[in-house]
Amino acid sequence: MPDSQRMDVRLSNVTKSYGTVTAVDDLSLVIESGEFFSLLGSSGCGKTTTLSMVGGFQEPTSGQIYLGGTDVSRLPPYKRDVNTVFQSYALFPHLTVAENVAFGLKRKKVAKSEIAGRVAEILRLVDLNGFEDRKPALLSGGQQQRVALARALVNRPKLLLLDEPLGALDLKLRKQMQIELKRIQSEVGITFLYVTHDQEEAIVMSDRLAVMSNGKIEQVGPPDQVYDRPATEFVAGFLGASNMMWGEVHAESGAMLAVRLEDGVEIAVPKSAAEGHGKRLRLGVRPEKIAVLPMSEPVGEGWNVLSGAITLNVYTGIGHQYTVRDPVGRDFAVYVQNTQAARGPALGEAVQIAWRAEHTFVVTPSQQG
Amino acid sequence: MTDEKSPNKGFRLDDPAFIRGLTQPRLTRRGVLGAGAMGMAALAMPRFAHADSGAMPIPLDAKWEKWWKQQKPTKELVFANWPYYIDVTDDGKKHPSLDNFTKATGIDVKYLETIQGNAPFYAKIAPVLKSGQSIGNDIIVMTNTWQLTELMMQDFLVPLWQEKLPNFFKNASPSVISPDYDKGNKYTVTWQSGMTGIAYNPKLTGREITSFEDLWDPKFAGHVGMMSDLTELGSAAMLKLGIDPAKSTPEDWKKAAAILEDQKKKGIVRQYYDQSYITALENGDTWITQAWSGDVFQAHAKGFKDLKFIVPKEGVMLWHDNMMIPKGAKNPLSALEWMNFYYTAETAGLIEDYVNYICPVPSAQAYIKDVIKDADVADSPLVFPTKEMYAKTHDFYTFKSFDEYQAWQSTFSPVVQG
Amino acid sequence: MSATESRAARLRGLGRGAAPYLLSLPSWAYLTAFFVVPMAAMLSMSLATGNPITGYVFSWNFAEFGRAVSQYDTQLLRSFGYGALSTFITLVLTYPVAYWIAFYGGRHKGTFLFLILLPFFVSFVIRTLAWQFILADQGFLFGTLKQLHILPERFYLLSSTTAVIGGLVYNSVAYYILPLYVALEKIDRRVVRAAGDLYASPVATFWKVILPLSAPGIFAGFLLVFVTNVGDFVNAAVLGGPGTTMIGNIIQYNFFDAQNYPMAATLSSILMFLLIVCIYVYARIFGAEQIQEYAA
Repeated sequence: MPDSQRMDVRLSNVTKSYGTVTAVDDLSLVIESGEFFSLLGSSGCGKTTTLSMVGGFQEPTSGQIYLGGTDVSRLPPYKRDVNTVFQSYALFPHLTVAENVAFGLKRKKVAKSEIAGRVAEILRLVDLNGFEDRKPALLSGGQQQRVALARALVNRPKLLLLDEPLGALDLKLRKQMQIELKRIQSEVGITFLYVTHDQEEAIVMSDRLAVMSNGKIEQVGPPDQVYDRPATEFVAGFLGASNMMWGEVHAESGAMLAVRLEDGVEIAVPKSAAEGHGKRLRLGVRPEKIAVLPMSEPVGEGWNVLSGAITLNVYTGIGHQYTVRDPVGRDFAVYVQNTQAARGPALGEAVQIAWRAEHTFVVTPSQQG
Repeated sequence: MTDEKSPNKGFRLDDPAFIRGLTQPRLTRRGVLGAGAMGMAALAMPRFAHADSGAMPIPLDAKWEKWWKQQKPTKELVFANWPYYIDVTDDGKKHPSLDNFTKATGIDVKYLETIQGNAPFYAKIAPVLKSGQSIGNDIIVMTNTWQLTELMMQDFLVPLWQEKLPNFFKNASPSVISPDYDKGNKYTVTWQSGMTGIAYNPKLTGREITSFEDLWDPKFAGHVGMMSDLTELGSAAMLKLGIDPAKSTPEDWKKAAAILEDQKKKGIVRQYYDQSYITALENGDTWITQAWSGDVFQAHAKGFKDLKFIVPKEGVMLWHDNMMIPKGAKNPLSALEWMNFYYTAETAGLIEDYVNYICPVPSAQAYIKDVIKDADVADSPLVFPTKEMYAKTHDFYTFKSFDEYQAWQSTFSPVVQG
Repeated sequence: MSATESRAARLRGLGRGAAPYLLSLPSWAYLTAFFVVPMAAMLSMSLATGNPITGYVFSWNFAEFGRAVSQYDTQLLRSFGYGALSTFITLVLTYPVAYWIAFYGGRHKGTFLFLILLPFFVSFVIRTLAWQFILADQGFLFGTLKQLHILPERFYLLSSTTAVIGGLVYNSVAYYILPLYVALEKIDRRVVRAAGDLYASPVATFWKVILPLSAPGIFAGFLLVFVTNVGDFVNAAVLGGPGTTMIGNIIQYNFFDAQNYPMAATLSSILMFLLIVCIYVYARIFGAEQIQEYAA
C-alpha cells in the first residue's frame, strides 16, 4: 500500500504483555479508511486486547498505534476520535435513551440545538425514534444494542470499534442486526473495526478480516480470499471445515504441480498455491467443493479423484453431510447440496470423491506430520 | 458519692474505675493518702474523737413493728452498691469485711455493683417498686439527693427497726445521725460521706486557690471546670454568695443561677462536667475545678501529684451515701444485721482503709492506726475530719416536694443546657 | 366427591391462601411489640400531666408541645444543624476513601475495609472518650505543639462546637463508608469505560456517571448518619462545652434527672416528626423514585 494513501488505523509492532504472558505479540496491521474490518479469533487470541489498545483503554507494552497518521498510543480514550460499541452495551442506566446518545456530543461541547438534531437523526437511523425518554432498563436487548450503536455513531468518529456487539442477541435477531449494521456502515461511511469469534459473522460483514491466534495475526484479506486460500492450517480449520492431506511434489506441468499423496495417489495442485512451500506440502480442500460420484461414473479432466466408502451420512435439510473413508483410512468430510432428485449414496457404498484441481489449497502446517 | 454518676448533660461517663481501667491496672488505695499534698495542713486540728451523740432508737409504729416481728431470719443477703466502693483483696475476688460477716452470722452475702447513678438507678427500680414487686435487693445505697427523698415520699422503703442497730447508736459520727434528709434515721444509715470542694493544678493556675471566688476568676477563662450535676452546681454558687444551701430559698437559687450564667457568658467555664471533670483536670483542660475529695486521691495514685484538693474558705458541701432497705426485700433481718455489723470499728475500719472517703464510724480511726497500722489513712483529715472541718461543711438542700425539686432544676438547667 | 372431601379441599385451599398472611405474623408481632406499642406509649406520655410522685395521667395535654418548642428551640435547631453539617462533612471525607477502595482496592479491598472498620469494633463510648486524651490541652498532641510554639498557650479544641461535630463525623465514618462502598462497587466498570470512550474526562466521568450511579449509597448513608447524629447525645456530653447541648442530651436530662416524662416523650415525638419531615423532603428533592430505578 503506497504511503501517500491516507491510513485510518495503523498498528506498528504492537505488543501487550502481562508479566510473562504476551496477549498481543508484535502485531502490525493497516486498516483502510471506510473499511469494515474484522478481527476474528477464539477467546484469548488477543483480539479484544488489540481493540482495547486502539480504543485507549489499555496501553501497548511496546509499539505504536496511529489514527489518521497521528500517534495515539498513549492517549486516554476521551482524547481519541474513536468510539466503541461494547459487548455489554454499557449504557448509562441513569440516563434516558436520548441522554445516552447525547452524552458524547455534550462532552465535546457541541451546541445544544445541534445535539437535538443529531440525536433525532441517529435514532431514526437505528430505528429508535419514539424511545427517546425511555431508560435503558426498559428496552429489549436488540434495542439496547441499537442505542449503544447510536450513542457511538452520533459522534461521527473516524473509527468505530465494535466488541462482539451482537454476542448477547439470539440467532434470528443477530442475523437481522448483521445486515442492519452493514447497511448503517455503508450509509455513514465510517471505518468499523469489528471484533468477533463468529467466523460466519466476520465473513458476512467484513470487507477484510484478520484471523488471530496466540496474539499474532495468521492471515489478513478479503473474506473469500481467506476462506478459499487459507494461509495456515489454523485458518483453514478456524474458518469452516477442511480436509487436510500431506503430499510430495514429484512433477510439474504448466500451471499445475503433480503431487503424490502418502498412499501414492497423484493429484494436481495449482503452482500458485504451492509457491514458497517447498516440496512437502500440507494440502487441503473444503468439504463443499467435493462431489460424491458412483464408482462407475467417469471423471473429467482437471479433477482430482480419490475413492472410498461412505461411513457417515447425515441429512441436514439443505443437503447431506458425508464422511468418506479412503483405503488408507483418511476421512473426508463432504457437503452436498440438496439439489438432486435421485437419492444419494447409501452408507457403506463405495464411491469416488472428486474436486477441481484449483480448489486444492496449500497451507503452512501447524506441525510436521 | 453524690450524683456524679447521673450527669444531666447526657451519657454517663461515670465510673472512675472504668476510666482508670483504660489507662492502668487497678490499684489498691492503700497508701494513696500518704502524699500529704492535699492542702490540708492548715486544717490539721485536734481530732474529733468521741462520737457519742446520745441519740436513741426511735420506736416503730404499730404496723411496722408487727411487720418486723413477723420476719424470719434468713441466711442470705443481697447488697447492691456502687462499683469500687468496698474493701477487696488484691486479686479482686474477695471482700474481707463481707467474709467476716458471713463467719460471724452465717449469712451469705451476694454483693452486686449495679448502681451507676442515682437518677438512672431510681428510674430502673421505681416502676418495679410502684407495681408492688421486689427489686431483688435487700440493701441499696443512694446519695442524699432528690431520688432518695422520692423513695421516701413514694413509700418505697422499709423503716429501720432501730432496736436491732445498737452499734449505730453507739458508734456513728454525729454528722450522720438524724440528718435533715432523713430525720431520726427512719429509713437510712450512712455508708460513706464525701466532700465537694475545689481541686486545682498549681502549675497552671500559677497561684494558690483558697475560695469559690477563684472559680469566677477571668484569668482562668476557658479552664474552669464546673459540675453538670445541678445540685452541686447550684450549691457551689450559693457558697460563693455566702448562702447556706441547706437553708436557701428560691430567691437565693435565682441569685446563684444569675452568677453562674454570668460566669458562663464571660467564657470562664470550660465545660459542665460529670465525673470526667477529673480527667479534664489531669489532662490540663481545666486548671481549677469543682471536685470530690476522693477523686483527687485517685489522681495522685495515678501520678498526677501536682493536683491539690482544698476546702475553700466559704466551706464545702458534705454529702452522704446511705444504706436502706427497699420494700419487697426478702431478707430484711439480714440487712439489719449487716448495717449493725458495719457500724463497728473493725468493719468500718477495714472498709475505710480501702475506700478512703469519709468514715461514719470515728472509732475506726484508732482501729486503722493501731490494728491495720495504716497511719496515712488514719491521720487523714479527709477520712476522719476534724471538728473544725465539720464546722465548715454544708448540707444539700432537702427538697420537700417534687415542685421544689422541679423549681431548682428549672432554675439551674438553663445554665448547663444553653 | 363427597361432602367431607370437598370441605377438606376447601380448607386446604383456604390454608394455601392464608399461608402468606400466617407467615407474616411474626413480623407483625415484632412490629407491634417493638414499634407500635412503644410508639403509642411515647405519644400518650407526651400528652400526660402530673408528676412522678402522684404519677402521670393521660389527659390530652398538648401544652407540653408548645413548651418544648419554646424552651428548647435552640437545642432543636442546633441538633439539626450539627446533624446536617456532620453528615455532609462525613460524606465529603468518606466518599474519596470508598471510591478509592472500590475502584483501586484490587485484591485488598476487603483488607482496606476491615482496617477502616477496625476502630469501630471498639465501644462507641470508649472511642469517643479516647478523643479526650488525644485532644487534651496539655496532651501529647497539643501539649507538644504548644511547647514548639506552633499553637498559642491557651488554645483548646475540646469543649467546642468543632469538637462535637468532629466527634459526630468520626463516629459516623463506618456508617457512611459502607453504603458508599457498596454502591460504588456495584457500578458497572464497563459503563465507566464507556464514559471515557464518549469523550468524558475523568472529572466529567465522575460527575456525570459515577456520582449519579452512587446516589443510592449517598442516600442510604445520609439516612443512617443524619438520623443517628441529630439524636446523638454522647459527643456533646464528652466533647462539647457550654452552648453545645443537643436535643438528645435534653431528652436524657428530662427523663432521668428532671423526671419530666411528658417533656421527654414530647421532645422525642418532635424529634421523630422533624426527622420524618426531613427525610421526606430529602427524598422529594433527590428522588427516591430515581433511586429505585437504578436498582431495577
